[in-house]
Amino acid sequence: MTGAESITILLLLAWGTVAGVDLVSLPQAMLSRPLVAAAVAGALLGDVGAGLRVGAVLELFALDVLPVGAVRYPDYGAAAVGATAVAAGSPWELGLGVAVGIGLLVSAVGGWSLLALRRLNADAVGRRAAALRSGEPAVIRRLHLAAIGRDAARSLLLAAFALGSAAVTLRWVRLDRETAAALTIAAIGAGAASALGGAARGAGSGRRRHWLAAGGVAGTAIGLLVWGLR
Amino acid sequence: MPFVLSRVDDRLIHGQVVIGWGRPLGVQRILLVDDEVAANEWEQDLYRMAVPEGVTIEFAGTVAAAPLLAAWQADARRSMLLTGSVPALVHLYAADPAALHRINLGGLHHRPGRTERLPYLYLTAEEYRSLVELETLGADITAQDVPSAVPVGLGALA
Amino acid sequence: MNGTGRAFLRLLSVQGSWNYERMQGIGMGYAAEPLLRDLRVAEPGRYPEAVVRSAEFFNANPYLAGLALGASARAEYDAVPGEQIVRLRAALAGPLGALGDSLFWAGILPALSGLTLAALALGAGWWAVAVFVVGFNAVRLAISRWSLATGLATGMRVGGALAASKLPRAAARSGAAAAFAVGVGTPLAAAWLLHPFGARGAASALLIAAAGLALARWSGARFTAPRFGLLALGITLLLRLVTA
Repeated sequence: MTGAESITILLLLAWGTVAGVDLVSLPQAMLSRPLVAAAVAGALLGDVGAGLRVGAVLELFALDVLPVGAVRYPDYGAAAVGATAVAAGSPWELGLGVAVGIGLLVSAVGGWSLLALRRLNADAVGRRAAALRSGEPAVIRRLHLAAIGRDAARSLLLAAFALGSAAVTLRWVRLDRETAAALTIAAIGAGAASALGGAARGAGSGRRRHWLAAGGVAGTAIGLLVWGLR
Repeated sequence: MPFVLSRVDDRLIHGQVVIGWGRPLGVQRILLVDDEVAANEWEQDLYRMAVPEGVTIEFAGTVAAAPLLAAWQADARRSMLLTGSVPALVHLYAADPAALHRINLGGLHHRPGRTERLPYLYLTAEEYRSLVELETLGADITAQDVPSAVPVGLGALA
Repeated sequence: MNGTGRAFLRLLSVQGSWNYERMQGIGMGYAAEPLLRDLRVAEPGRYPEAVVRSAEFFNANPYLAGLALGASARAEYDAVPGEQIVRLRAALAGPLGALGDSLFWAGILPALSGLTLAALALGAGWWAVAVFVVGFNAVRLAISRWSLATGLATGMRVGGALAASKLPRAAARSGAAAAFAVGVGTPLAAAWLLHPFGARGAASALLIAAAGLALARWSGARFTAPRFGLLALGITLLLRLVTA
């Protein structure tokens, strides 16, 4: 490993951690959205095009999620970073499918890690129940900052897992061109289904559903037009 | 028509209720049974503002709600019955077991005396006993915070 | 009341200690500390119980939590009885969750996300992603600032101020915008990415998408997106191995 490579890996690790903390804890600025996490990862890896495409497909999957009131959801931030690391530097048509697979795997692991974190936080709060009744703000402050620290540790571990999975994939997974392309096509199709399924569920019945249909028709028409012009 | 959902949730109307359940079930009316809210005009104003356009909301205290269940069910609108406590649920069930045949435990949160059954469901021993009793009377009770979650039966919550 | 700026910054981490026991409660208490500091001198008898109340169970949309934070802090200074403040917080939580989740999670976020996907598909570069981040956060910070300021100004009358605001209407409209934008962005993004694979590739992707939508319907939406994606990739790999 060269010096430049180690610096890139460290930067990716740091960015994956930032994206992980952003999801729930701080500052919830949508840095954890696949579009953003992957685009920045692509820039760090010198392949923005791969980052944008990985980000777009994982964003389609993430549109399925409606994080309403305390529900469980996958964590796509570090996942998008790891996925971009898989796809960067080689033709995206062949790398995208495998990359998305790694991204989805990491996002599910990330979802579980959030559950574990919330449990650890609840335990910490439970242990300090008597102190919390004292009305001493330092107790609250310490609990809160420790929890953010816990999330930072979780995010760092998840980012390391994502990059580790990417390294293993790059080192060991060898696919012929046809299979790699088929996986890319499958990932795009599955992503589109997730986005539309989530949108239909979120829209419910009535007026919003009509808006979704109208958007779908418009998008398909423009898409066909652009397709023909290319 | 029968209630499309009968739910126990101490946060009453929040994101899970109006987006998570309300939209896919096409809920047109929420029947909020809670003594404190029924007695507070300004709290009712808050909840009215929280429901989407096209959804109406009616408030009643537990005792006042029981005789209304039949009329509520006779209405053609798709209605969700929402209450914030197990005792209120027991009272309503006793008044009209058929109306509350299927019961959704959506969220009861930490309070002294309650223990965790699911991340979103904390129950005292007595609350759990009341629910088991309802089940022996024929109610179909499952815990499920949002439609995309797997429903959990009472047996797994002991 | 001093400390508004610091409270606002702390509010950006309101979910930092999210847990199943108090949800955002500890985060709310953390953000309340700068606001309540003057109460320590003004009303030393009331201060500790105000601190305890500030960290009780709470959950709302994080971007609107400032309304409840500001209103409860104002109410503490106005010497409102403690149990009324507890009631106010509890009564605000659900509606702020419903309203904020509709506005942000089911509205502005998917709307901007769908538009960004469409822009990328039509040839925009990384700057489309930059516009997405800056645009979302400009709206979010403006609404969060307004929330805290309005809560602090109105105290127990916060409900009226919220009802008179544009938020309920905006929440209703943003859902339609989100549906339309995701409707536009999804086929456009798919067409953009599938172009190198030609009509055959697009047809295969369409088939997989249709199967996914059917599966979601049949399984009652219990098939989460990552699981479905991994299943689709797994089956594709298997088919390739068998036919190769």
